[in-house]
This record gives sequence, structure tokens and C-alpha cells, in this order.
Amino acid sequence: MKRHELIVIGAGPAGLSAAIEAKKNGMDVIVFDENQRPGGQLFKQIHKFFGSKEHHAKTRGFIIGQQLLKEAEDLGVRVELDSTVMGIYENKEVTVKQNGEVHHYKGDAIIIATGAAENMIPFKGWNIPGVIGAGAAQTMMNIQGVQPGSKILMVGSGNVGLVVSFQLLQAGCEVAAIIDAAPRVGGYGVHAAKLARTGVPFYLSHTVVEAKGTDRVTGAVIAQVDEHFQPIPGTEKELDVDTICIAVGLTPMSQLASNATCDMELIPQKGGHVALLSEYGETSVEGIYCAGDVAGIEEASSAMIQGRSVASHVSMKAGYLTEDEFESKYQGYQEALGQLRQGMFAPKNKGRNDFTETDEGYPISKTLLAHGYMTEEELSKFPAASYQKAGIHPVIECTQNIPCNPCQDACHFGCIKVGENITRLPAIDEEKKCTGCGLCVASCSGQAIFLVDETYEEGFASVTFPYEFLPMPKIGDKGKALDRQGKPVCDAEIVGIKKTPIMDKTAVVTMKVPLEYVHAARFYRAEV
Amino acid sequence: MIRVANPEPFVEREDDDMIICRCEEITKGEIRRAVYDGMRTTNEVKRYLRSGMGLCQGQTCQRLVQGIIASELKVRPSELGMIQGRAPVRPVEIRTFSKNVTDVKED
Repeated sequence: MKRHELIVIGAGPAGLSAAIEAKKNGMDVIVFDENQRPGGQLFKQIHKFFGSKEHHAKTRGFIIGQQLLKEAEDLGVRVELDSTVMGIYENKEVTVKQNGEVHHYKGDAIIIATGAAENMIPFKGWNIPGVIGAGAAQTMMNIQGVQPGSKILMVGSGNVGLVVSFQLLQAGCEVAAIIDAAPRVGGYGVHAAKLARTGVPFYLSHTVVEAKGTDRVTGAVIAQVDEHFQPIPGTEKELDVDTICIAVGLTPMSQLASNATCDMELIPQKGGHVALLSEYGETSVEGIYCAGDVAGIEEASSAMIQGRSVASHVSMKAGYLTEDEFESKYQGYQEALGQLRQGMFAPKNKGRNDFTETDEGYPISKTLLAHGYMTEEELSKFPAASYQKAGIHPVIECTQNIPCNPCQDACHFGCIKVGENITRLPAIDEEKKCTGCGLCVASCSGQAIFLVDETYEEGFASVTFPYEFLPMPKIGDKGKALDRQGKPVCDAEIVGIKKTPIMDKTAVVTMKVPLEYVHAARFYRAEV
Repeated sequence: MIRVANPEPFVEREDDDMIICRCEEITKGEIRRAVYDGMRTTNEVKRYLRSGMGLCQGQTCQRLVQGIIASELKVRPSELGMIQGRAPVRPVEIRTFSKNVTDVKED
């Protein structure tokens, strides 16, 4: 039997971060992962993350994964891949399947960081090929470079459903609709808005009742649901799709904690059965900890901090950190976590739907929650979204308190302010001059910042927006300007494209539109 | 927990033929009938039907099975308990078990 001071199970964001922290503190640590590559789900995440600088905000998930791997490699963290932990036994003995053999390891401490599995919903035909999880769609697109299908129905409007829908569009698929049984969009409004403006329809209070087809999906039947989430007869609608993508939440993969006889409880806010944890992440079995999604569904940014926090406790218990050193590290990690766990989407607010206004007192858009976009009337209540000034200036259509502030750092002239509390809505400083550089447009992970110039030319305005699709438009191209719900509103001509390394592949595109459409035009479609 | 034979006959439903546990091909009707037959927890249904004992070890269906039992018994899913996590938590070929490496030198 091989003994290690710390065994980490799972080399995803939480597990790798835990191993890095423990190794930095001088511990002998080994990480097991059943996959052929480390990084967990991070390498599928091609979108820019939220948060602040210390949470790697505006960096794409897979790049955060690369940075984490490099940090682990530089420190000499031992990561055993293709190594499936089969069980945890008495005295923290772990059996691992490696090279077709059962190997035994013993840890003075164990951190379970096994992540989560996707939920499924059963409906007629849900087990025919073409009904897939959103995670599977991401693996196909972003790891294997294959389109999951050509016309997709997305079931679930949480952040996973919204982010994967956008990635499906980027991969060249058509997203026929996004549906959700809930009456409101579950994920960030900005994620919904960037889909709606490309023309993807949202059907809230709808569920999928049938996947058509025998050996593959040839269509989907959706229906409206009543307040008890039961389909209302007569409201069925058939959609022409070949793939049904399910994104209805995640469940912690906590079997190992249960196997290790940790006290467990079903906590809906945490997504399912989880081990009961101390404030330091320790289970009821001394020396066994949980970190990341297995401890309760959140997202990768908080999983990374949790991993480090838990490992610092392990290091202290093992004598590698003094209590004071631990205390100061722990406080720092809790502060960073606290920043991410604020606002209307905080874990403690999961399932709440009674927010009517933002922290600043602006009315939350009902159209955004019901259809994925905002009306001009609703936006007019938000100063940064209805900001007007002669010359080029930003318009920030960020209307929910989500933990994010890269826009503040992006502007070198201090034109955009979020402040200490990163869930505050960004405000525009009218005194500071906007140069139209477009860095804020590219830095906004929610793609909610536009630059507008009402005085571009006699009778014409310019609208600058983020663009992450191929083919990239060219200067001089003519097409249609789309409004926030993806409807063509007027002719548009591309007059500027910026793509610098710091923008990290988010192109900042400027189109010229007739002046009267300046407040409506937010996207561009090439003339076919 | 009091268990008595249900005097009412089992009522079939239209969607009883829907597969719930894909790995072991257990239908919604089978799960409903298991509850009718007296199974009261997720673990009991698992042992009775093998739902959640296939390739994915209940990863996909556990919550669905729980939901069906809960709605049959008119209780909250949290009252039904989860499938006890057992080693191996992932499917392992039996030949792997025959290669149990115990005698290894420290590396």
C-alpha cells in the first residue's frame, strides 16, 4: 500500500486547486482522475468567465484550465490519469483502478473533488439517439470538434443551457428554441440577451413532451405547462430539430462520500445529496473533505477557491501551516468566495424568483425574464443603458446584480465604475471621455456593452458590438441590423472591426445605421 | 414504517412503458409497481429492480427514480434517502479485481 499525506480525487478545478495549495504548503499530494486529461470541465468552457481579476474574470475557461495545469506542473504536483477511484474504506484506504489492476493507497487526508453529473428529464422518446446532455454537446463541439446536430432544441435556460446554446451557434448549428418549464429565464440575463439578439426564440413555461423518431430524433414536441409544471393539452407545438439538448441542472457526484460513510443529506439548494460539511469543508469522517461541485453545485470559479481553502485546512492539520497562517489564508479565500456568492444569482438565492428590482432600485426587466431580451422602455430605467452624450460613448445593458467587474478594469480612462461590491451594476462617469477603443466591449463576459455614436455622420449613427462568430464581417459589408430580439430593423454597413490580442478573439465590430435606429440596432446579419 | 398490502388494484398509466433506468432498462411502470408491491426507499427499489445498478451506477436515473417513488407515495424525495454509495462506485471488470496489487514498494 502506498501512503500519501493527501489524496485528491478528481483533477478538475477544485481538485487541481486543492493539490496546488497543498503542494505549495509542502505536502506530499497525489491526484487521481478517471479521465485521460486533467482539467475536468474547464477545457470545454470556451466562454469568458465572470467575477473579478482575482477570479480570472474575462478569461476563457479553457485558458484558466491551462493556467491551472501549468501551475500544477511547475510545482510538481503528481496527477495520475486514467485512474478510477473505486472506493474509500476504513482508515482512509482508497482502491484505484490503474492499468487494469486494483491498487491500494492510503491518505492521511482525502479531498473528494469529483464534481457533478447532469440531470435528465424523462419524456416520451428521451432515450433515442439525438437526446443528449448539454455537457455531451460541449464535449463534441469543444473537445472533439464535431457538431452535435444541425438543428437543436435546448431544454433549460440556466447558465449551462444559455452558454451551451451560444456555443452551438458558434459551432454553426441552428438553435431552434430554448425552452424552460419555469416561467423565467434561469441564467444570467446577459447570456439570454446575446442569444435573443441573434434571433433564438425563448419559450418559458414550456416543456418537451416527446422526441419524435425511431432510431434518431427527427423532431420535438413541446407544450406549455401550468403552474404545477404539467403540460396543458392543446398547446403542443412540433419543432423541426434533429437534436434535443438537456440542460436541467447538475447533481453532485457524491457516491464516494456516501461510500466513505460520511453523513449525507439531500439539500435542494446544493443540487442533491451532499456530505454535511464543517465550515472548513470537512465531512463527518475526520480527514475526509469535499470541495467543488460535489459539495454543492456552484461554478468553476468558486470551486477553485474552495479547493484552495479546503487544502489549506488540511495543510494546517498536517502541521504545514501554523494556525495563524491558516487563518489568514482562510479569511482571504472566504472573502473571494463571498464576492462570488453575492447578488440575485447567489447560491443562497437559488430558486428565489421574487426579485423585482436591482440593489440600485431599478425595476428588473420582465421581458428579459420571459423572452430573453429587454425593451427600450425597460432599458430606459437604467442610467448606463440609456446613457446619451455627443460623440462616441458606451451603453451598458447590464441590468442584474451578478458578480462581475472586468468592464471597470478595461477602461483606462476610468469611464466605467463598478466599485468594491462586484455585483453592483456598472455606472458611467460622465466626466471621463470615451475614446471608443472598444476594450470594454470585448471585456464584458456577458457581451452587454455597446459603443454608440449618434453623431457619426449626417443622418447616421454607429453602433459597436461584440462579435464571436465566423465568418467575420469585412469593412464595407452590407447587411441588416438586428434588434434585441433578432428582428431585422434596418440596413447596416460594417465600418470598423477591431481584433487585438487583448480582446481574446472577441471582435469589436462597428456598423453604420440610420440615426433613428441607433437605440434598436444591436447585432448584424450579413445579407444572404 | 408500516407496510400493508394495498387493497386497491394497481392502476396502469399511459406512460408506464417509458424507460427510466437506461442501463438496466427499467420502466416507469416497473418502478410504480415496485412501490405498489411495498418498496419504500430508493435503496429498496434498487435492490428489487436493479435500477441504478448498471453502467452509470444511478448517475442518470437516481433522481428520476426518486421522483417517481416520491410521487407514488406522496412524500418529498428527501425522505426517501439516496442509493448507498458502494465500491466500486464505477463499473470495473471482474478481471481487474483478480489483479489486486498489494505488495508494492514505496515510490
